[in-house]
Amino acid sequence: MEIATKDVKVNLGGTPILKGINTHIKNKEFVGIIGPNGCGKSTFLKTVYRVLKPDNGCIYISNQPLEEMTYKETAKKMAVVSQHNYYNFDFTVREMVLMGRSPYKKNMQRDTKEDYDIVDECLEKVGMSSYINRVFSSLSGGEQQRIILARALAQKTESMILDEPTNHLDIKYQLQILDTVKDLGITVISAFHDLNIAAMYCDKIYALQAGEVVSYGTPQEVITTELIRNLYEVESSVNRNEDGILHVIFHPTRSKGESR
Amino acid sequence: MKMKQIDLKNGVLKGKPIYVCMILILLLALVLSILTAVTIGSVDLSIGEVYRVICYHMFRIGDGSLYGSGVVSDIVWYIRLPRIILAMAVGMGLAVAGVVMQAIVKNPLADPYVLGISSGASLGATFAIMVGFGSLLGGNAVGVGAFFGAFVVSLLVQIVANIGGRSNSIRLLLAGTALSSVCSALTNFIVYIAGDKAGIETVTFWLMGSLAGAKWVNIVVILPCMVVATLFFITHARTLNMLLLGDEVSITLGTDLHHYRHLYLIISALMVGLAVYCAGMIGFIGLLIPHMVRMLFGTDHKKMIPLCALAGAIFLIWADVACRVIIPKSELPIGILVSVIGAPCFIYLLIRKSYGFGGGAQ
Repeated sequence: MEIATKDVKVNLGGTPILKGINTHIKNKEFVGIIGPNGCGKSTFLKTVYRVLKPDNGCIYISNQPLEEMTYKETAKKMAVVSQHNYYNFDFTVREMVLMGRSPYKKNMQRDTKEDYDIVDECLEKVGMSSYINRVFSSLSGGEQQRIILARALAQKTESMILDEPTNHLDIKYQLQILDTVKDLGITVISAFHDLNIAAMYCDKIYALQAGEVVSYGTPQEVITTELIRNLYEVESSVNRNEDGILHVIFHPTRSKGESR
Repeated sequence: MKMKQIDLKNGVLKGKPIYVCMILILLLALVLSILTAVTIGSVDLSIGEVYRVICYHMFRIGDGSLYGSGVVSDIVWYIRLPRIILAMAVGMGLAVAGVVMQAIVKNPLADPYVLGISSGASLGATFAIMVGFGSLLGGNAVGVGAFFGAFVVSLLVQIVANIGGRSNSIRLLLAGTALSSVCSALTNFIVYIAGDKAGIETVTFWLMGSLAGAKWVNIVVILPCMVVATLFFITHARTLNMLLLGDEVSITLGTDLHHYRHLYLIISALMVGLAVYCAGMIGFIGLLIPHMVRMLFGTDHKKMIPLCALAGAIFLIWADVACRVIIPKSELPIGILVSVIGAPCFIYLLIRKSYGFGGGAQ
C-alpha cells in the first residue's frame, strides 16, 4: 500500500510545525523519519494517522485522499503503535488485543470465533501467547508495548505507523518489536531517535528539520557526518562494517568539536 | 511479585462460563429479591396474602373481592410493589450511569452526578419549592424541577466543554466542577433570599432521597426507559471500552469518540434525571456498584453493564427494605442509608491494596 503526502502544513497554536511536507512511501517500504526533538516527526505521523488535521495539503492512501475516508476505513488500512500507553482501567490482554478488531465491527456486532483466533495468532506473533489472561496494567513497559503491537496486528492492515513506540524500552525489546514489524513485509512509517537502529531497519529515510524535509534517500545516502552535524549539532563518524551495516559513532562536542 | 498478586485477585471471575452463570444467578436473585422484599414491611401481612394480591392484580387469578381491593391490596399493590419496582429501576439506572460516567471522564472516581448533575438537580428542586412555580407543574413539582435542573446543567457542561476546542474528559470534568459551584451558589442564594424554613426542610429531605413516592404511573415510564438505556449501552460496550483508551488511540482503531461521548452523556443524564425525579438524590450506588463489579469481573463493558444493572437493582431493593424496617414505625431516607453502607465498603476497597481502581499497582 502506498502512502503519499502533498504539501502538508500543520499549525499548532498558531506556530507552523510542518511547513509543507512532501513524501512518497512505496508499497512494502520501511521508511524512517529522523530529526531532532521538535522537528515535527510526531506531528507529521499524527497527521498521517488522522489525530491531527492538516491545515493545508493532503494525504493519500493508495491514491485516495484521507479526508474522503471514514475513520473505520483508515483503521482497516493503517495500524498505529504509538508512544507508551497508560490506561487508568484494567483490561485483560485478550480484551486489549480484541479491540484491534473494532474497525471491522458495528456497535451491535458480536465478536466471532474468527476474531478470537486472530487475537491468538497476533499474540503468538509477538511472543506473548501465555499472557492472554493477564491484566494489561500489570505488565512491564516492554510487554505492554508488545501487546499494543499485537492489537495493531489484529487490525490486519497493509501498513503500520510506529510513533516512537520503542522509546524507553530496553534495546532487546526495541529490536524485538522492530523485527516483528519488519517481518510483516508491509508498508511501515516509523519515527526514530536512534540513527543506528534507523539505519538497520529502514529502506528509505526522511530527515526532518524545523518542519521541512531536508534529506531523503537510503540510510547510506542520508545518514552522513554532515547531516548529523546539521540536524543534531553533534560531531560523529559514520562507518560501515563488513556486513554493510551502518554505524554512527558520536564524539563529545567539547573535546573535539571545539578544538578543531 | 506484587504485580502477580494483583493479577490473581483483580477480575478473578473472568471466564465466560462464570460470567453467564453469574448473570443467571443475579437474575434469579433479582426475582427472589422482589418476591421477598414485598413481604417485608411495617404492617404485618402473611406471605400467602401478599402473593395472592399480586396474583390477582397481575393475572386476575383468585377472589377479586378479597384481594382486588381493601387495605391488604392497597398496601401490597399500591405501596410496596411500586416501591420495589422503582428501587429496581433506579438502582439499575444509577449503576449503569455510573459505569458510563466513569468511562466518559476516564476516571474511576466519577459517579453519575459528577458532571454538575447533582447541583443542577438541587438548584432545580430549590427553585421549584422556593420560587413557587412548583404549583404550575402539578404533582411532583420538586421532581420536575430537579429533572430539568439536572438535565439542563449536564447539557450546559457539554456546551461549555466544547467552547474553544473539542471537549475531552478533562475539559468535561472542569466544566462540570465550574458549573457545579455556580449552581450551588445560586441554590444558596435562593435559600438565603427566600428565608423559607419549611421550604428549606422540604428541599433537604428531598435531597436525602426516598422511594416512598413510587407510583405506577411513573414506573411505567421510568422502568422501560432505564431498561432501554441499559440495553443501548450493552450494544455500545465496544465504544465504551474505547472511551477508556482515549481519543487518539480510538481514532487509530476507527472510532471518533467525540459524538459518542456526547450521546452517552445525554442518555446517562436522562437516566440520572429520571432517577432524581422519582427518588431524589441517592449517592454512592453509582460509584460502589461499578467498582465492585469491576473488581470481580474486570473492566470489559460487555460484561460490566449487564452485571452492574442487575447488581444495582438488587442492592437498591434491599437498601430500601432496610430503610423501611431499620427504625420501627418510621423510615430512614435511603440516601443516608446507602451512604452509610456504601462508604465503609468503598473504604474497604480503597485499603485493599489488590484493587487498584483499574489503575494497577499505583
